[in-house]
Amino acid sequence: MKLVTDNLTFKPEKEYFLNKVSLEFEAGKLYTLLGRTLSGKTSLLKTIAGLQPIDTGNIIFEGKDFSTIPVWKRNVAMVYQQFINYPHLNVFDNIAFPLKQRKMKTSDIENEVTVAIHKVGLLGFEKRKIQELSGGQQQRVALARSLVKKAKILLLDEPLVNLDYKLREDLRNEFKNIITSDLSANSILLYASTDPLEAMQLNGDIIVLDEGKILQNGTAKDVFENPTNIKVSEITNDPAMNILKGSIDSNKIILNENVQFKIPKHVKNIQAGTYHFGIRASDMILDDKGFDFNIDIAEISGSETFLHLHQNVLNIVLLIEEVRNFNENDKVKINFNLEKLYVFDGKGDLLFSPFKMN
Amino acid sequence: MRTFYLTLKYLIITLWSLFVIAPFLWALSTSFKDFNSVTGGATYIPWLQFEPSLEGWKVLVRSPAKGGVDIIEPYFNSIFVTCTASLISVILGTLAAYALSRFKFKAGFIKNNDITFFFISQRIMPPIVLSIPFFLMLGFLGLLDNLFGLILVYIVLLMPIAVWIMVDFFNKVPQEIDETALIDGCNPYQAFFKVVVPNSIPGLIVAGLFCIIFGWIDFFFAFILTFTEVQLLPVKIVALNSSVTPWWSLSASALVSVAPLIVVAFIVERYLSKGNLSGALK
Amino acid sequence: MNFNHKFVFLLPGLLVLIGILIFPIVFTVRLSLSSWDSFYPGLDFIGLDNYIRLFTDDKRFWESFFRLSFLSVTTVFLQYIIGFSLALMVWKDIIFKRFFRVLFLIPMMTTPVIMTVIWRTFFHESLGPVNDFFSLFGITPLWLSDNILAKVTVIIVEVWQWTPFMFLLLLAGLLSLPKEPFLAASIDGAGPIRKFIYVTFPLMAPISIGAIIIRLIEASKIMDTVYVLTSGGPGTATETSSYYIFIKGLREFQIGYSAALSFTYLIIMIISLTIISKLLVKLLIKKI
Repeated sequence: MKLVTDNLTFKPEKEYFLNKVSLEFEAGKLYTLLGRTLSGKTSLLKTIAGLQPIDTGNIIFEGKDFSTIPVWKRNVAMVYQQFINYPHLNVFDNIAFPLKQRKMKTSDIENEVTVAIHKVGLLGFEKRKIQELSGGQQQRVALARSLVKKAKILLLDEPLVNLDYKLREDLRNEFKNIITSDLSANSILLYASTDPLEAMQLNGDIIVLDEGKILQNGTAKDVFENPTNIKVSEITNDPAMNILKGSIDSNKIILNENVQFKIPKHVKNIQAGTYHFGIRASDMILDDKGFDFNIDIAEISGSETFLHLHQNVLNIVLLIEEVRNFNENDKVKINFNLEKLYVFDGKGDLLFSPFKMN
Repeated sequence: MRTFYLTLKYLIITLWSLFVIAPFLWALSTSFKDFNSVTGGATYIPWLQFEPSLEGWKVLVRSPAKGGVDIIEPYFNSIFVTCTASLISVILGTLAAYALSRFKFKAGFIKNNDITFFFISQRIMPPIVLSIPFFLMLGFLGLLDNLFGLILVYIVLLMPIAVWIMVDFFNKVPQEIDETALIDGCNPYQAFFKVVVPNSIPGLIVAGLFCIIFGWIDFFFAFILTFTEVQLLPVKIVALNSSVTPWWSLSASALVSVAPLIVVAFIVERYLSKGNLSGALK
Repeated sequence: MNFNHKFVFLLPGLLVLIGILIFPIVFTVRLSLSSWDSFYPGLDFIGLDNYIRLFTDDKRFWESFFRLSFLSVTTVFLQYIIGFSLALMVWKDIIFKRFFRVLFLIPMMTTPVIMTVIWRTFFHESLGPVNDFFSLFGITPLWLSDNILAKVTVIIVEVWQWTPFMFLLLLAGLLSLPKEPFLAASIDGAGPIRKFIYVTFPLMAPISIGAIIIRLIEASKIMDTVYVLTSGGPGTATETSSYYIFIKGLREFQIGYSAALSFTYLIIMIISLTIISKLLVKLLIKKI
């Protein structure tokens, strides 16, 4: 059972919502659509659901052309990022709604709904009104309603993004377990997110979108370890990967007159010229024998500290895995973990990655 | 300083309240007068300043044959015409408002906002402009002096109100709820009736109330388009406004005719406090 | 994707409206090109003669227009100020809040004609209470027979009748305002006046505009009040455009000409109301 989108394009006004999106989804798998806001994730989900038209392209599901099938006859389920439930119904009726629509027998409906309520941990809430529930509880109801349909395509559009940080952490694992335990040979799961961390935790195939275009498509491991270009590296890392312009000349990498180092081993046979070098914030360390940098800002976030540094025109973000106080305009000495260095060419495409055997 | 503001506030409220009540009190007092009391000059308090008489009120229930003013039939006519026209206007108007809020229309250069404007601009027309053509049209259809002819005309007056209120209301109901209903297996009609409508009851009530108010108070169309068979309340009462004005029966009938909408005022206030009228304006 | 259902929703209402309206509108235009009156009944064709007469020979029509503008702008302005003030006062908690709110709504719920009949007795120059009061000062203002006073009387009655409408819309708007800006203003030490100028009024701008425009649309149709209270008089002091069209059409029976007046009036109203609304939007919204 396959879902295929072929060359989907949708440009309602000046910008592309979807730009030649061609993808193949297989049953039994979880796919993460990763991209910034307005990158096309929601458009893609809505198009698959049938809620958004397309200018050109096709959607084919199980061999049949989807575009002839109206929304209400497609076997899909969707959870939105805003907590969308039927305000005039209580929890039980909310979840039972699609089943009633299918004219299922009342006794069967009761069973199915109870099972779903159990799965999302809302036992005892059946008679409650939606307005009485907290955000997290409302999303659980929405999730339960989508599960109870046993739809073949389950679409989740950043379902946790409107919850507070702590709740998001707690629910993320829970949601993941709930969804993946339901994932069978009969269903395809698409999860949209802007958070690379979330995408990593979900550990499905990742499709990186930007401005309606697919930038990269592969396993989570592959996408993270080997971003095809700088844009992808920005989307898949938080904080964004440091991209530094520099050059290679006579076996040295030169960032500026102060910052130079040897070419690491995984960068083989590279010609002299200008390149972009990428290094993650977590792949740099404070080192007394390192390069001098000035501190612009020291940000403490949770249990980590982000140092924003500069030296002349070089700007770097460094991650320290503890809470430390720094004074702005101080100097620190840092060093690069060269084994984790990425090299991109002038256009931004990946040339060398620490993880691939080139 | 605070007490200054407070006193000012209560002063203004009191003054305006007196202004609001004044005509009613006057009418009340007048309704108990007779010929002598009226022509003797302005008087206010019964028993103290003039002899009260129930003539004004008795006249209301006496049949015309005995010189009475029958307002019972016009009363019910008004209710029937207003409610029916409001019902139809709200139904048709809500459907149209839903379409204008949710879907995109484009016929040449005519787009959604233009269609909405077309609906609302019907309110700009003063009754005069339409009265003669309606007169001829209803005459041709045999619907002059007829309740249903009047209802037809009132629909034109009231549907714009329903559309105006409901378009704004629907714009506030998140479209995602419609979409979820579609995804859950409803076709667009089922989505509308099973999900959107139950969530729009406050808006529908407000639209209905406004329609009833503006329908009830119409004078002109009823004036032009009905004669003897069918009479509506406002017309009947103004007919009493001749130069030899029986002020007492006038006042009595006036008071009786405005009573029903006082009830409406209570209902409107209740919905006001629930915050349901907000934003019906763009 | 099948989008036919969107027409099923829109068309019943739209078609019914157009269906009922189409004959009157088309007929009015056709009428305006004829010279139907009591001497020459029937639909002849005289081209644009009616319109030419309208624009060149009819001072009374344009005067009625100015009168209408004056009356409607004044009444709407007063209604806005009074209505807003009243709404502000019953917005927060005061004694008998619900009572006052209902009381202030009542005039709007009454039939204008009927109330005007009462007003006529109220302002009656020899037998009414108003002049009874003024006679204490030795004056008897001629409320209904003096040029200027007649206008004032009409304004008073209109303000009584329709301020509740403004009041209702504005109060609903006030009740829907978010609390945060006010809390922020309090924290910044703003007193009630500053709060009003910098928080309440700007937030209420869009609603104010809507209310004013809707009231202007309704106010420009002033007819009932004039008909009952002054019959356009004294002379033509309170003759509004609608009343003038009424006289020409149904009193003097110059149906063709009044159709031309009606159509012209309609076009002018639509254009001016559109301009006014765009202006108001620019003025109030851009200012903030």
